[in-house]
Amino acid sequence: MAKRELSVSEKKTIKSMFIRSHLTFISFNMTKMEANGFTISMAPAIESIYGDDKEAKEQAYIRHQNFFNTHAVAFSLIVGLAYALEREHKENNLPIETIESVKASLMGPTAGVFDSIFFNCLRVIAAGIAIGLMSAGNPLGIPIFIFFYGICQSIMKYYMLKYGYIYGTNFIEAVFNSGLIGSLTKAASSLGLIMVGAMTATSINVPVNCTISLNGAEVVLADVLNSIFPGFLSIVLLFAVMKLIRKGIRPIYIIFGIFGMSLLLALLGIF
Amino acid sequence: MIQAALLAVLVYWVLYWCETYLLSWQCLSRPIVVAPVMGLLLGDFQTGIVMGAALESIFMGISGIGGSVPADGASAAIIAVCYTVLTGTDMEAGLALAMPVGTVIANFGVFSGFLQPLWSALAPAWEKLAVSCNEKKFTGLNLLLSLVIEPIPSLLIIFVAIAFGVEGISGLLASCPAWIMTGLTASASMMVAVGFGILCSMIWSGKIGCFFFVGYVLAKCVGMDSLPIAILGASIAIIMFFNDKEFIDFKKQITQLAVSAGPAVTDDEEGFF
Repeated sequence: MAKRELSVSEKKTIKSMFIRSHLTFISFNMTKMEANGFTISMAPAIESIYGDDKEAKEQAYIRHQNFFNTHAVAFSLIVGLAYALEREHKENNLPIETIESVKASLMGPTAGVFDSIFFNCLRVIAAGIAIGLMSAGNPLGIPIFIFFYGICQSIMKYYMLKYGYIYGTNFIEAVFNSGLIGSLTKAASSLGLIMVGAMTATSINVPVNCTISLNGAEVVLADVLNSIFPGFLSIVLLFAVMKLIRKGIRPIYIIFGIFGMSLLLALLGIF
Repeated sequence: MIQAALLAVLVYWVLYWCETYLLSWQCLSRPIVVAPVMGLLLGDFQTGIVMGAALESIFMGISGIGGSVPADGASAAIIAVCYTVLTGTDMEAGLALAMPVGTVIANFGVFSGFLQPLWSALAPAWEKLAVSCNEKKFTGLNLLLSLVIEPIPSLLIIFVAIAFGVEGISGLLASCPAWIMTGLTASASMMVAVGFGILCSMIWSGKIGCFFFVGYVLAKCVGMDSLPIAILGASIAIIMFFNDKEFIDFKKQITQLAVSAGPAVTDDEEGFF
């Protein structure tokens, strides 16, 4: 897998595709999801590869109007790959089925991996640090969050697109065959869980404010529960919610359930 | 009020619609950014910062993944900050109001909504337009639909809610019995569990579930801040990754050895059973 030098026109096309690939979610709809974004991102590649060949161009445009959906950074990777594949199609007559199947087979696994890296790991860390700073009133949390979760995505998008094109399909095959994708997901998820655990400790609070008198002795309920384990009720609450979500109950019902429960318990004087 | 409502609409359009469609980060539309910006524009940056942190905790696990969005964090943050700053009430009351408003506006957002069938119905038209090879027109019409037409319903709701709602809400809050305020305050701190619950159920698996408690104990019992915990966590993750890598390489070597000594191995196994 030798690294190939890019020509001037290739560099120009990749740059234009990079900027356009930020339109991932444009006109998002439930039938085709990110198809319009994909078509727009592929336009510079299609124009530069097929030039004046009107019929081939029409076919290429319709090809990239197919259903597409993945994470926004993985989107750029697959756009880069599709560029490499389209070129192969033009130069070496690569069958179009390959282009279709590479796109279709990659969107599922890449969505999973990139969601776990960006959404479950990077975002949780960035937000965790920013929340810590900002709940103490420090505005520095805002630029930290924007850099780590926002600007980082654009940087990654650029390299994904570029190397997706340079290494083409070999790269993807190598990564998936090495079996390291699974390990990467596992490591990223572990880090994410540690951060969620830490934030559970500081953010979830079940404010029980109730004293029971037993034979004249005053027992503060919150102290009893905390002596079992600090923040006992917040862990119970979190796992109860998780159980409900795993059962397929829509979050909106849980939200209104908690709402109703708090009002009821407040009326009864427990909160 | 009208001025504040217009500012809110502007913030929502730029940070939610333009960000999602033009940058695809889904970062600037998080409450942690929206709330301070809204606070700054209304002249109370500090409230915005603190509320941003609280709202981000609530909306932690909620985002555009998987097609259904239970509540929209950006609009919830805008409404919560507007109510708190404009009526001068407790932050908790503003936070408690955020959820219901967010759930209504989520139905007019990018990834889920009442209007989705309409946008889906446009798919054949987009195909026709793509085949015409007029790439500039295709991009232009996509931008027009996404940035101008699609946002209209949600922007109208936010405008009405702030322009005509704040006085009504402040009157309502003043006449509330104490237990309602206590209940709202309590629910705001428990709402975080929903966001975390969604997030956890996505990443949780039996093999790594124990790490949740590592983070919990470090923060609650040891009292560490989040950055040191992140550094410890990253070290654990890196060690895990390289252990796994070694294990996989090792497994590969074993299978290679087994393949080169193929028949003998199978003989052994048959003899053994």
